[in-house]
Amino acid sequence: MSEQKRTVAIHVPVLTRVEGEGALDLRIENGEITELRLRIFEPPRFFEKFLEGRSHTEIPDMVARICGICPVAYQVTAAQALEKLFGVEIDPWARAMRRVFYCGEWIQSHSLHIHLLAAPDFFGCNSAIALARIAPDEVRRGLRIQALGNELMELFGARSVHPVGIRIGGFHGAPALSKINAIRDKLRAALPEAEALIRWAASIPVPQDDQGFISVAMQHPTDYAIETGAIGVSDGLRIEADAFDVHFAERHEPHSTALFSTYHQQSYLVGPLARLNLNHACLPEQIKALLAESGLALPSRNLFHSLVARAVEILLALHEALRLLDAYRMPDSPWVLVTPRAGVATGCTEAPRGLLWHRYEMDDDGCVVNARIVPPTSQNQGRIEEDLRLSLLNLGLDHPDDALRLHCEKVIRNYDPCISCATHFLRMNVERT
Amino acid sequence: MIGVRILGIGSPSGDDQAGWLTVDALLAGGVQTTVDPIRVQKLDRPGSGLITLLDDAAWVILIDAMQNHDPIGRIRHFGADDWPAYSHGLSSHGFGVLNALALARELGSLPSRLDLYGIEIGSASPGEQAGSEVQAAAQQLAQHIAADLTATLLQT
Repeated sequence: MSEQKRTVAIHVPVLTRVEGEGALDLRIENGEITELRLRIFEPPRFFEKFLEGRSHTEIPDMVARICGICPVAYQVTAAQALEKLFGVEIDPWARAMRRVFYCGEWIQSHSLHIHLLAAPDFFGCNSAIALARIAPDEVRRGLRIQALGNELMELFGARSVHPVGIRIGGFHGAPALSKINAIRDKLRAALPEAEALIRWAASIPVPQDDQGFISVAMQHPTDYAIETGAIGVSDGLRIEADAFDVHFAERHEPHSTALFSTYHQQSYLVGPLARLNLNHACLPEQIKALLAESGLALPSRNLFHSLVARAVEILLALHEALRLLDAYRMPDSPWVLVTPRAGVATGCTEAPRGLLWHRYEMDDDGCVVNARIVPPTSQNQGRIEEDLRLSLLNLGLDHPDDALRLHCEKVIRNYDPCISCATHFLRMNVERT
Repeated sequence: MIGVRILGIGSPSGDDQAGWLTVDALLAGGVQTTVDPIRVQKLDRPGSGLITLLDDAAWVILIDAMQNHDPIGRIRHFGADDWPAYSHGLSSHGFGVLNALALARELGSLPSRLDLYGIEIGSASPGEQAGSEVQAAAQQLAQHIAADLTATLLQT
C-alpha cells in the first residue's frame, strides 16, 4: 500500500478577534508538527526612539499612545519608574488613585476580551454578534461592565482612550467628591453582576489541557499586585524591576517583528492566569469563596482557564476600586513637584495582558537618552508557540484543517495578544506532506 | 431617555475628521439651542462603547467617514434597513461602527430611528487638515440634518 502525501494550504483572510496583525504557519509532516510559527509582521512602531530627547513631562502622554486598550498601564509604569529615579514620594492619595485608575483599565479590557473576543469561541460562535443571539443577557452585562471600566478611566484621565490624567508626581487634577460618590454607587451595583460573570465564565466548558509552564507576575506582600510589587516567578524567584535584565532576555526571531522574551532561556506566561496562579492567596475572602464554589483549582495548568481568570480579576478590580474610593478625600494637591536627575529608571506594573516593564536612561535635564519597553505580548510570544504545539498534539493532528485552525485561534486568543490597535487579522497556512 | 443623539465619529487625521466637522458645523449653526433635547457628541473610534450611546435615545444620527471608491465628499445615507446589508466600505474605523450596530441590533439596543451618514473621504494622514471636498460635504450634511431635525421635531 502506498502512502499518499498531500500538501494543504489554508488561507484565513480575516480574524477580527485578535488585537493586531499576525499569521500562523503550521506544517505537519507524516503526522508530526515540523514547523509552527506565530508570525507577527506588523511594522515596528519605534516608540522607544520617539521618546529619545523628550522631557520627562511628556512621557506619560506619549506612552499612552502605544496602546488604545491599556494606556494606563504604560502611563503608570513610566511615571513610577521616573519618580523612583527622581526620588519623589507621591501623595498617598495619588498612589491609591493610580490603583483605582488601573482597576478601570482592567475592568474594561478584561470585559472586552471575555465578551467580544474570547467567549464566542466556546459557544461555537464566530463573533460576539452571534454570541449575542444565544446569550444576550450575558453580552449586555459584559458591555455594562466594560462601560463602567471606561467610566472609571474617564474619571481620572478625562477620556478612556489615551487618557491624559497622569503626570510625573501624581495626577493633573482630582475628581470632585460628587463624581466619586456617583461612581461608587455604580461600582457597588456592579458587584453582583461581576459575581454572576464569574459563575458564568466558570460554567463554560473548555478543552481539557494540562501543560507545565512558568508563570511570571508581580507580587505584593498583602495586595493582589497591580501597580506595585516585585516580579515573582513560579519557581520561587522574586526580584525588583531593576534586576529584570539579569533573568530575562529578549531576542529577535526572523519571523516576527516583536521580540521574544525568555526567562533563563525558557518561555514563560504573563497575564491573568499567571497572576491568579501566583497571587490567588491575596484575593479578598468573598472572591476566594466564589473561586472555591467554581471548582477552579489553582495553580492551573490549563490556559483555557484564562477566561475565568479575567472574570475573577474584574471582580477584584471592582472591590479594590470601591475600597479605595470609600476612603476618598480631596487632596491638598494632586501632584508634588519633581526635580529631575540623571540616571537609569526601571519600573513595572501589571497591564491587563501581563507584566509591562520599562527602562529609561535620563540626562541631567530630565530628558530621555534611551528607552526600552517590554510589553506583555512579546513576553508571551514564545509561550503561545509552545502552547500551540502542545495543545495541537493534545487535540490530535488528524482533525480537518478547519478544526485545527479554529483550535489554534482559540489558543491564541487565550493570551489576548495585543499586537497593535490598528488592523486585525490572522493568516494561517497549513501544509501537510 | 434622550430625544436625539447626534454622534460624529472621527480621528485627527485629514479627511477622517468628516464626522467631527459635521458636528462642528451643526453646533456652529446653533442646532443645540434651537431644537431640544438634543445631545451632540464627537467620538474617536468608540468601538463597542457606541452601543451604550444608542439605547438611551429615541433617534440617533451617526456620521462617519467612509471609503467606497466614490468621489470624495459624496454623502450617503443609510437607514435602518440599509446598513445591515452593507458589508464593506462604510467606515474607516475597521471593526467599529458596523459591528457595534450589528451587536446593538442583536441586543435590541437600537433606537427607534437611526440615520447613518457616510462621507466619502480621501487622504487620512495624521495631523493633516481635511480636504476642501470633505469640509464642504460636512457643511452640506449639517444643513441637511438641521433641516431634518427642525422639520421632524416641529411635527412632534
